Order: sequence, then C-alpha cells, then structure tokens
Amino acid sequence: MNSYLVFDDLEVACSLKKWKSPHYKQEVEVLQNLLQSVVANIDEYVEIRYHKRIETIIDARSGVLRKVERRTLAGVGVRSLVDGCWGFVSTTDVSKEGLQNAVSEALQAAKAGAPLRDEKVNLAPARFGRGKFTYYDDSREPDISEKIRYILAAEKRMREASPLVEGTIVHYLQYEDEKTIVTSHGASVRIKDNKPSFRVTATVLRDGKRETATKSSGVTGGWDDLIAKRTLNELVDTAVEVAIKKLDADYAKGGQYTVILDPKLVGILSHEAIGHTVEADFVLSGSIVRDKLGQKVAADLVTLVDDGQVEGAAGMVLVDDEGVLGERTVIIDKGVLKSYLHNRESASIFGASPHGNARAFTYRDEPIIRMTNTFIMPGESDLKEMIAGIDNGFLLIDLAHGGQADSSAEFMFGVSEAYKIENGNLKGLVKGVTISGQAFDVLMSVDAVSSDFQIDTGAGHCGKWQPAKVDGGGPYLRCQVTVGGRHEE
Amino acid sequence: MKSSGGIGVQGQELCNSLVSEAVRLGADEAEVYYTRSRKLEVVFEKNDLQVPKGDNYEGVGIRVIRNRKQGFASTNILSRESLNDTLRSALAISDASPPDPNHWLPEPAQVTPVLEIYDPQAGDLELREAVSKGKLLIEAARSFDPRVTVDSAAFAMETGTRFIANSKGVELGEDSSYIWCVAMGFAREKEDVSSFDAEYAISCKLQDVDPYAIGRKLAEKVVKSLGATSVPGFRGSVILTPYAGLDLLIEPIVFSINAENIQNGQSQWKGKLDSRVSSPLLSITDDPTLPRQVGSSAFDREGVPTKPLAILERGILSNYLYNCYTARRDGLQSNGHAVGSDQSVPGIGVTNIVVAPGNISLEEMIEGTSRGLVVNRYSGSVDPVSGDFSGVVKGGHYIESGKVVQPVKEVMIAGNIYELLGQIGAVSRETITLGNVSLPYVAMDGCSVTGK
Repeated sequence: MNSYLVFDDLEVACSLKKWKSPHYKQEVEVLQNLLQSVVANIDEYVEIRYHKRIETIIDARSGVLRKVERRTLAGVGVRSLVDGCWGFVSTTDVSKEGLQNAVSEALQAAKAGAPLRDEKVNLAPARFGRGKFTYYDDSREPDISEKIRYILAAEKRMREASPLVEGTIVHYLQYEDEKTIVTSHGASVRIKDNKPSFRVTATVLRDGKRETATKSSGVTGGWDDLIAKRTLNELVDTAVEVAIKKLDADYAKGGQYTVILDPKLVGILSHEAIGHTVEADFVLSGSIVRDKLGQKVAADLVTLVDDGQVEGAAGMVLVDDEGVLGERTVIIDKGVLKSYLHNRESASIFGASPHGNARAFTYRDEPIIRMTNTFIMPGESDLKEMIAGIDNGFLLIDLAHGGQADSSAEFMFGVSEAYKIENGNLKGLVKGVTISGQAFDVLMSVDAVSSDFQIDTGAGHCGKWQPAKVDGGGPYLRCQVTVGGRHEE
Repeated sequence: MKSSGGIGVQGQELCNSLVSEAVRLGADEAEVYYTRSRKLEVVFEKNDLQVPKGDNYEGVGIRVIRNRKQGFASTNILSRESLNDTLRSALAISDASPPDPNHWLPEPAQVTPVLEIYDPQAGDLELREAVSKGKLLIEAARSFDPRVTVDSAAFAMETGTRFIANSKGVELGEDSSYIWCVAMGFAREKEDVSSFDAEYAISCKLQDVDPYAIGRKLAEKVVKSLGATSVPGFRGSVILTPYAGLDLLIEPIVFSINAENIQNGQSQWKGKLDSRVSSPLLSITDDPTLPRQVGSSAFDREGVPTKPLAILERGILSNYLYNCYTARRDGLQSNGHAVGSDQSVPGIGVTNIVVAPGNISLEEMIEGTSRGLVVNRYSGSVDPVSGDFSGVVKGGHYIESGKVVQPVKEVMIAGNIYELLGQIGAVSRETITLGNVSLPYVAMDGCSVTGK
C-alpha cells in the first residue's frame, strides 16, 4: 500500500495554539498495538475504530433539577471491504478474540453483500493520521457538583428575571470522546477531544399568551472554553429578553424581501441548504449541483468552505473516522463551485482527495460523508451601512425551531429574531417569521458581506442517518429571500 | 412476567445484584434497567447497496435515590470495574443534587403481557436475507419509472430483551422485535427535480413489512409531483395526509399532553383537562395493548403496567401522560408513560397513538373542497408551545372546485395549529399506520397559503 501518503506524529495538529500534552495511559497504547496486530493479518481492507464516549447531561427546568445523566458508551466498529462491498459490525467485546470475531463477521457481511453491489467501491489515496491528536485536558475539568451548581444558579436567574417568566429550561450536554483508529492502509491514531454545549429556553406568559425563545452555544474544548465563548447568564438574559419582546410583537407580512442574515443563519444556510447538496453521496444521487463544478453558483462576494481544523469550533475534526487528516475544502470560491465534500469512496469516483469528512457518531455507526465547520468567509462591508441600504426589509437573527432543506437546495428556516428595517432604520421585532428559497438563488443575490465574522452554530447536531456535532457561521450577508409570515400579500 | 430466553436470566441476575449493591452502598431506593439487543441493518444509497451492518449491544442504567436526591449513570461495559464505577457515579451525582420530594420508585403491580410483539422469525433473520429485502425495494421503485432515484433506503431488524428491577420488588422482563423499512427519494426529469419524499413501514412482525410495496408507493408519489408549478397565495382548506399530519397535528398534541411540559409551563393545554381543545371530529387514544404494534409493551420504563388511555374524546381533553416523578408532583399515580433506554433517566412519551377515523372518504373530502391544497408532506417548523407553524409543502397538490388540478412547489403554509384544531372540517374514513401512530386524512379550514 505504498501509494498512500503517511505522516508520522503529524505537525499539522501540533501547530494549533491549544495543543495540550497527551495524557494517555499505557493501556491505550496496548489497545492500539492490539488493533494493529488484528489488522496486520488480513488481506482485505479493514478499519478498526475503538470509541469510548462519556456523555454528561445536566437539565434544570422551572426550579427543578430534572435530570443529571452520565453515560458511558464504548466499543469497537469494524469495517471491511471485500470485492467492492462494505461490511460493518460493532461490538462491546474488545478482547483479542472479540475483535477477531468482529473482523470475521464484517468480512462475511461484505461477502454477503458483494453480489448485490453494482458499483464497486474503491478507495482514494489520502493523507492519513498517525500519532496522537489531543484537544482536551480533562484534568482541568471541574467536577460534576460544580457544574450542577452553575446550571442551577443560571436557571434561578432566568426564573427570577421577570414575573412574566412561566417556564425555564437550562440544558448542558457534553461529549468526552476517546478514539483509537487503525486501518490496513496505514492510519494509526489516537484522538481525544471534548464537545460541550449549553441550550436555554425561556417561556413567558401574559394574558394567556405564551412565547418562547431559545439560545445556545457550543465549542470543542473544556468547560472553561465553553464559558469563555459565552457565559450561561448571557444566554439566559438574551432568551428572556427576546421572549418578552415577542409578547408585544406583530406577525410579519409574507413576501419577497431584502434581508440581512446574521452569522448564525449564514451558518445554517451554508450547512443545511448548500452543504448537504455538495456532499458527494448526495451529488451522486442527483442533487442540484451535479455537473456544476466550475460553474458560477453564487455572487462573486461569496466564498464558502468546510474546515475541520477551525480551532475550538464544535465541528472540529482533526482526523476523521477513516483515519484521514482534516483539511479545509473550498466549496465555493468567489462565486464559482470548486469542490464537493468527500470520503475516500466518493473521492475515488470523482478523482478528488478526501479532506476528513468521513464521520461516525458512535462506535456503532459506520463513517459517512459529513460536514465539519461550514462557513462563508468574511467580506469588507460595515453592518450599519448594510442596514442603511435597505428601504423595506429585515435583519434576521438566529434560528428557531430547526431548519430543513433538500437536494434541490430549497430550504425553510424558522427565525428567532426578525427586526423590521424601514428606510434604512432598524425597527421593532416581528414574530413567526420563516425564510425560504433556493439557497443558490439566495447566494447569487448577495450584494454585501460584512467584515464582522463568527462561527456560532455549535450547540446543534446535524442528522443524516446518524447525528454529528457540526458548526457553522460566517459574516452578515445582505440578500433576497422569501419571508413567510402570518399575513399573505 | 419473566423474559423467555436465557439472556433474560443473565440480565435479571445482573439487575438484582446491582440493586442490592446500590442499597448496600447507601441508596434509599435503587433501580437497574438492562437491555440487550441484536440488530441488522442494510442501507441503500443512490439505488445501490451501501453497508450491511450487524450490532450486538448490552447495557445497564442505574438510578439511585438517597435523601430524596436522585443520581443516574449508565454503561455498556459490563465488567465488574465499569459497573462499580457507574454505580459510584450515580451516587456521586445524587450527592451533588438538591433534594426533591417527588423522586420515588414504583411498587410492584400486576402486569399483563402484550401479544405478538416478539417475532421469532425476525430473530432468525440473517444479514443476507435482509440484503435481498432491501434490493426488492430498490427494484420496485426503479422498475416503476426510470426517472425515480431512491436517494436512500434501509431495511432493519432489531430483537431485544429488557429487564428492570428495583429495591421495592419490581422484577419484570420482556422480549420484543422491531422491523423497519424506509425509503427516501425523488424523481428527476432534466432540470425538473421533484420534491424529496419518504415512505416507510414499521412493525413487530417481519411479514407486515413489505419492501416492494414501499418502493412502489414512493415511486408513485415522487413521479406524481414532477412538473410542479407554484400557485398564487390564498386562504383556504388544506388536507393533511397522515405523513403531514404526523408532524403538524400529532407532534404538538403529544407535546401538549406531556406532564413535564404542563409542569414546565410550556403546554397550551395546562389547566384544560375536561375542556374543549379541538373540533368534536377529533378523538385520540393511546393504546399500549395493540398486538404487533411497535409502541406496545406490558410495562413502562419504570416497571409500571401500561393500559389504554383516552387523550381526546370528541375534542374534549381527557388525560395527560405521566411517569412516577411528574405524577407525584401533581399528587397522582403514574399512568405508565415513562419512556427511555438504559442510557437515560425515564422521560415521558406515548405508546401507540390511534386517531379515530371519520365517516367520509378522502375522495369525498377533495370533492367537498372549493379551493385548497393536499399537503403530502410538511417540511418546516412547528412551535409546539405557541402552536405557530410555517413551512414548505412537499409533494403538494392544488385543488379547485372539488378536483385535484396540479402538483405545486414553492408553496408555504402557515397558521396556528391550536386554532386550526378547532377548524377541522373533515376526517377521513381511511387511516394509515406510520410506526406507532395510526391516523386519517384531516382537512383544516382557514389555513394561510403563500404562493409566488
């Protein structure tokens, strides 16, 4: 397998500022050696991934600590490739015998499927990870009692923020991940990271009328990094303020408008409406961008990338679950579609190189093409001037109640805060706003891109057969969208 | 009731010994929930086989209550060391939590087994058979029309055993199986890409899930939505298919009857028991006793026996859904709606939701519509708290003067679901079962439709 590039204890990841010295116990090395010995004797492609996750949830609601959970989920996922067909088996048994059984079952599964697999799978060469990749120092993590106290204090603050507050939710979710990945093509890595997030919801009630607002924040890193990004009190105060404003707000009038999308909505648009259509598996099944590489798909001002190496962003992936190093993919370069997102299988079909987008959520999932951190690059405009240039439109901030899009890039997102803009001036909040359109049409209509920039959708998960922690963001964008409201034109 | 297999015995012993150990270490009350499962899954993408998969899982969740303070931890590493560590974590969380008088575990009670929720045929299924079933789905869709792309499809089978024991003497076990087949796709003719649509079936019985029929139905739906155009906006009647009804009707209703959401001030139906919350055309029951249905079970996540429960009776709200904690907060007994896995503290959920059929046919519903829209699938937001929804209609068809005129795209619908529940104009005789929900076609008047 000499054609595969291999780097030893790679410098790419080490150059990150927050690189922390590894704390691996000897047993982890024993495991890595064991996985290597199992893989060494097989002629077919085999990939063994040990993944241990400790998930912690703290959830406080309306004066009550609703639940605290600590879940340990660990095991091995084995994937094999025989006669151009995959086979995958997962198990909790990590003894040498258990691993050998899993490998042999995965080989059998692949053999069973091979006669029915039309297009045979080939794997593209890739830059594989070797060595240790750590982005988490668990010795600095506060213990569970300190976290519970912090969350209960924030819940109390929300409950007491206003007599209108009727219900509160303060939610903390943390994934502590340790992985060891060994493949017969030469990847051999140990990865350790941590992805914590906060989500808060305020419900207010006045004269029988209920409104809610949800705010969230997430990172890759420790508890301190999460708080440094945004304190829980800051999220709590914003959620209460927005929910109360909605009590007095009117519904928007539906129609086509010039709007400004904030970095969170730009991140959602980049991920949901553009990003999924350029995932190579969706491209192969006929998404809207099939055969459009090299074509103009957005305004010149728009450059859109996916990058697993963004430090501290919640979609950070230093090495993916095929053992491939994370790298930036420029999807749209100054308006021109440049690249799709690949795993090794799709990269082989397109003659492209994979950049670390093959991801599995737990040891029980097989790696599939996923985004990491997807965002639009900042421009040069000033936000105030962008607002001043709108006669009749909206400033739209943050997502509400999820978003959806499909392979034709048509999307629909609920908007958390919509502020009317009239004759260049920012006015009050309107509620019940959704935006929809065809995402490439929207990007084609962009006429201003701010220099302010943030990656900030990191509390959420992306769902595609299995969840994944992703992040996204960008600058403020001025563009055209269809606004759906209560009243039609 | 004891689980049938030898596996159950192993789970039972593990649960009992961990409950004893928890009490020995100072827990006032302890509960251990064990599950073991075998799963096969075959996934297709872009009309071709992807990854045949097998999984064996075993895990426990430990809940302890000490001085009315609750702690929970779970693990799927069943070594002595990991189990001890998990038990210690649960106790540490309990110590770090504030006391709450409503934490309590249920006493043992009489449980009646549910019929046909375990299919031995499913247990014997092999991966190569699952592969052939998936292939059948793809062939059905593709042979219907070459313009159809099955973007993704899956055939999956899971058999499982669960066991629960608590320090008050609850000791229960149950075997079940779960067969699941889903297909998502679209049709494409040159630049015209149809709406993305889905079709699926879920049952405890292998023979109830017909991959060929699913492929065929998906293909019919997406081909029918080719050539869609937009229509101008209007206010009129929308007919929700069961697929759309699941998102637009059932989700907000299930949210509003969840006692957690009532107690958290998020439910519109707080304080509305025994009062009218919808048109009298709507009646809904939660029924855990239905044979072969995937929501059926004899006892809930806390070991409380389950039984049928009226939710809406001709538009009148009859009951909320409770687990032990929320019931105690309201001074009541649990009505058996604790849900969750070995990896989580019991939450609240439904078993099987059955919406009673109406007395006219879908055809008659369409004939009776002067101007409206059949909403095949809804893609958008529903805020279950306020009831406001706004989203895109997928695979929609425009109705004028009692006839379906054309497929539509880029059409949005918006409104408030709690208001529209009062404006239900008709409920169809035909019902479709989608997983654990059976529901008819439902027509709602006065919905706002934004076109182009």
